[in-house]
Amino acid sequence: MFGYVVQRLFVMIPTLLVISALVFIIINLPPGDFATAMLQELESQGGSGAQKATEIRALYGLDRPLIEQYFHWLGGMMVGDFGFSFEHEAPVTAVVGERMGLTLLINFISILFIYLVSFPIGVYSAVRQYSAGDYAFSFLGLVGYATPNFMLAIIMLYVLNEAFGISIGGLMDPAFRDQPMSWDKFVSIMQHSVVPVVVIGTAGTAAMIRRLRANLLDELHKQYVVTAKAKGLPPGRALRKYPLRMALNPFIADIGNLLPDVVSSSVIVSVVLGLETVGPTLLRALETQDTYLAGSFLMFLALLTVIGMLISDLALAALDPRIRLGGKAVK
Amino acid sequence: MIALRTVVAALALMAAALHTAQASDREAPMLAALVAEGKLPPVEERLPALPKLADFGPEQTLGDYGGTLTMLMARARDTRQMTVYSYARLVKYNRDLELVPDILERVEVLEGGREFVLHLRPGHRWSDGEPFTADDFRYWWEDVAQNRELSPAGVPTELLVDDALPEVLFPDPVTVIYRWQAPNPRFLPALAEATPLYIFMPGHYMHLFHARYTKPEELAARIKQTGSRNWAQMHNNMGRARDADNPDLPTLEPWMVTNRPPADRFVFERNPYFHRVDAQGRQLPYIDRVIFDITQSGLIAGKTAAGEVDLQGRYLRFDEVTLLKSSEKKHGYSTLLWRIAKGAHLALYPNLTVDDPVWRTLLRDVRFRRALSLAVNRYELNRVIYFGLAIEGQNTMLPGSPLYDLERRNRWSKFDLAEANRLLDEIGMTERDSRGFRLMADGRPLEIIVETAGGTEEADVLSLISDSWAQAGVKLFIKPLSLDVLRNRIFGGRTVMSIGSGLENGLATPDFVPSEIAPVDQNQYQWAKWGQFYQTKGASGEAPDTPEGMLLMDLYDAWFASGDRQERTDVWQAMLDLHADQVFSIGLVAGVYQPIAVRDGLANIPQDGIWNWSPGAHFGLYGMDRFYFTDPVRRGLAVRPGNGG
Repeated sequence: MFGYVVQRLFVMIPTLLVISALVFIIINLPPGDFATAMLQELESQGGSGAQKATEIRALYGLDRPLIEQYFHWLGGMMVGDFGFSFEHEAPVTAVVGERMGLTLLINFISILFIYLVSFPIGVYSAVRQYSAGDYAFSFLGLVGYATPNFMLAIIMLYVLNEAFGISIGGLMDPAFRDQPMSWDKFVSIMQHSVVPVVVIGTAGTAAMIRRLRANLLDELHKQYVVTAKAKGLPPGRALRKYPLRMALNPFIADIGNLLPDVVSSSVIVSVVLGLETVGPTLLRALETQDTYLAGSFLMFLALLTVIGMLISDLALAALDPRIRLGGKAVK
Repeated sequence: MIALRTVVAALALMAAALHTAQASDREAPMLAALVAEGKLPPVEERLPALPKLADFGPEQTLGDYGGTLTMLMARARDTRQMTVYSYARLVKYNRDLELVPDILERVEVLEGGREFVLHLRPGHRWSDGEPFTADDFRYWWEDVAQNRELSPAGVPTELLVDDALPEVLFPDPVTVIYRWQAPNPRFLPALAEATPLYIFMPGHYMHLFHARYTKPEELAARIKQTGSRNWAQMHNNMGRARDADNPDLPTLEPWMVTNRPPADRFVFERNPYFHRVDAQGRQLPYIDRVIFDITQSGLIAGKTAAGEVDLQGRYLRFDEVTLLKSSEKKHGYSTLLWRIAKGAHLALYPNLTVDDPVWRTLLRDVRFRRALSLAVNRYELNRVIYFGLAIEGQNTMLPGSPLYDLERRNRWSKFDLAEANRLLDEIGMTERDSRGFRLMADGRPLEIIVETAGGTEEADVLSLISDSWAQAGVKLFIKPLSLDVLRNRIFGGRTVMSIGSGLENGLATPDFVPSEIAPVDQNQYQWAKWGQFYQTKGASGEAPDTPEGMLLMDLYDAWFASGDRQERTDVWQAMLDLHADQVFSIGLVAGVYQPIAVRDGLANIPQDGIWNWSPGAHFGLYGMDRFYFTDPVRRGLAVRPGNGG
């Protein structure tokens, strides 16, 4: 088991290296750089700054070859220096600060929401197949799956503001912005996270319900279940002992698929909802070609995804003996 | 009985309140406590010996202290909007768009515009209580502007006349003299800009970051502490007065920022040493705090409609007026419409420096440009897209500018297809293809590709124009591009025609540099290469080679050599006339409205103002330091209590 974990950790390194190169190249693909983006802004405000652009390029090393900039960034990241955000004129770590924490919080709650909601519904739908409840949940699930989440976000914002007077957008009441964490602030964050969590989680929940239901149905019609029932095993035990455990495999393995989904959709949703997560900052950084800020964000998210995959593999191995032992058996 | 007692108690309370109000009449309640504790000198000692009497507009009234004004912004960088709105400048524009002294007590212009004597207000202090003197000007001029490390690009170009530096003298603590060999008409306007030229810096604070004034080891420690690359970067980052992003940097503006980016909420508090007073001699500003909440720009209209702001103009668009109007009553605010003072909201730019020789000849034929302008139905555009609220006509000055002339706005702008067709025939494009479109001299069909970096609005406008142009035998194609690509195509001479906003400043006075109407910038889409030539001093681009282009350059130079206002007025009139007659840009509509949401009970905001960057500084023209809340409860509220909702 230990060897397995170590091996997986080693595989992560080249993966992340490739991701870092891709990220860097893609950010630098559009024409222009941060200096041109900044120049446009200056001009749109009636200023002029052709000479300023040259200054900025020299100051931030944007006049260097791309490959040199890349290795400079990569080298910095190895020792925890994620570079400098041009837009915010501060080190990237200072900009990311609280936002990364809130992002992780929102994504964590969303995933929790997905599991807590989809598990009972999925099991219910499979066990009571073609019942009224099954149809109702399936209908809701399909609607949730098919609605673009930014659309859902806007509708929920409107309804919550009209009905409950919760301020539009944001993850907390404006009064708590940049205040140290307190109970009131926590409560405010929780109230405001209802919309994003539901919005981010809906599509994932719907997909998860479908998957669990299908897997469980496959198992329920197998002969060993029929035999168990015929021999008089109580229905609850006949469900829990084997079929449910079998059906759980894809449920756990899906963390790997779920994480990138949740993370990327949370970026869009954050922009629509104006959340104080990394989403809006990331989008803005990409627009202004704030290379190091955007790059570092994307690397954080990539790291998160890779770790999520690892956790899902480990959980699967812990849950299912066949996977733990399978590797050896083939040899 | 109980009721009576309550009434008596309430009356007593009110009397007490009134009494205290009188006692501390000249002191803002927010500062009165600090004064009482001895932490702050009384207001008489904080004001300059001769404070600036704020120029209240006809509809503005005396106000009362207190309250917090909340606004929404989309980025942390928007803290610089505060410097625009609060608009304290050495000299500034008043509501008649005349330059008047503000921070300065007075300015003497001597020797036909070659010498400027700036008189400071004796006793004027920075927001930290330190004296504001000529030494702050000396620090900037000698230790910043002429320091190669701090200003690698050299002294700002507004201070150069024929590439020569001025002579700057500091005869006494309240006098600064700038003297050039030739007139410098750019000097005072540059100081009054929405993003002004700062020719002073709080020397006592900036010394901390300057290699000349600080021991190397202390400097090194500060560089490390601030995470800067070198002392020059640190100095520049700490001293950006315009950006209002350093709470420690002393300021002369009415409010000072209290927290540093990155943050999602910026709080500005009153500057206890601000130099303006109202007619009763009470120190401004009236409002204690201004808050900028940072959110997504797309949410700002929604949040405004939900009543979450007290004053909002930026990031609201004209097409959001219906949303804003619909929830006015429910959330207690009103929506004002201020005219945007651009020369034209949108204009078409024929590229006179396009590479294609056939196109170049055609576009340079004034008859062609006039024909295209005559073939635009501006009335229809205005009705269909702007609810009939815009002003139709060419890209020129607006009513309100001393240079406004209705005839210039209307010239070649009346919808007249017959005349347009006659002009096009006269050029010799009488042959038509099977679709009915004219053929150019080399046999190609007359298909104009209009490139745009805008959105759906530009596309809508262009598709309407395309209908009427078709009746003149001109085919129009729309090509959307990103701004970067569009500009590079224009700079490179590949674009035939583009659409963009017109003159940024439709309210110019003769004292403004006529740089928008002379070919001096490559971002002028109608003659990018000429502008490039001027900007690079001939290294790239092309020299203006039409009589009109050369005339514009001569007039531009004449403006700089002018000694008085009359000469400058003549130059401006001549240039504007040339533009109107030559149709260098085809103006469509102007004066589109900017919605402004104002909380009920927020007073001194004009019903119909103008919304302009320069001159105007958005709210700055109307003096945000004079805005106040009429509702005492609103004024008494220190900060909105966190209700957890």
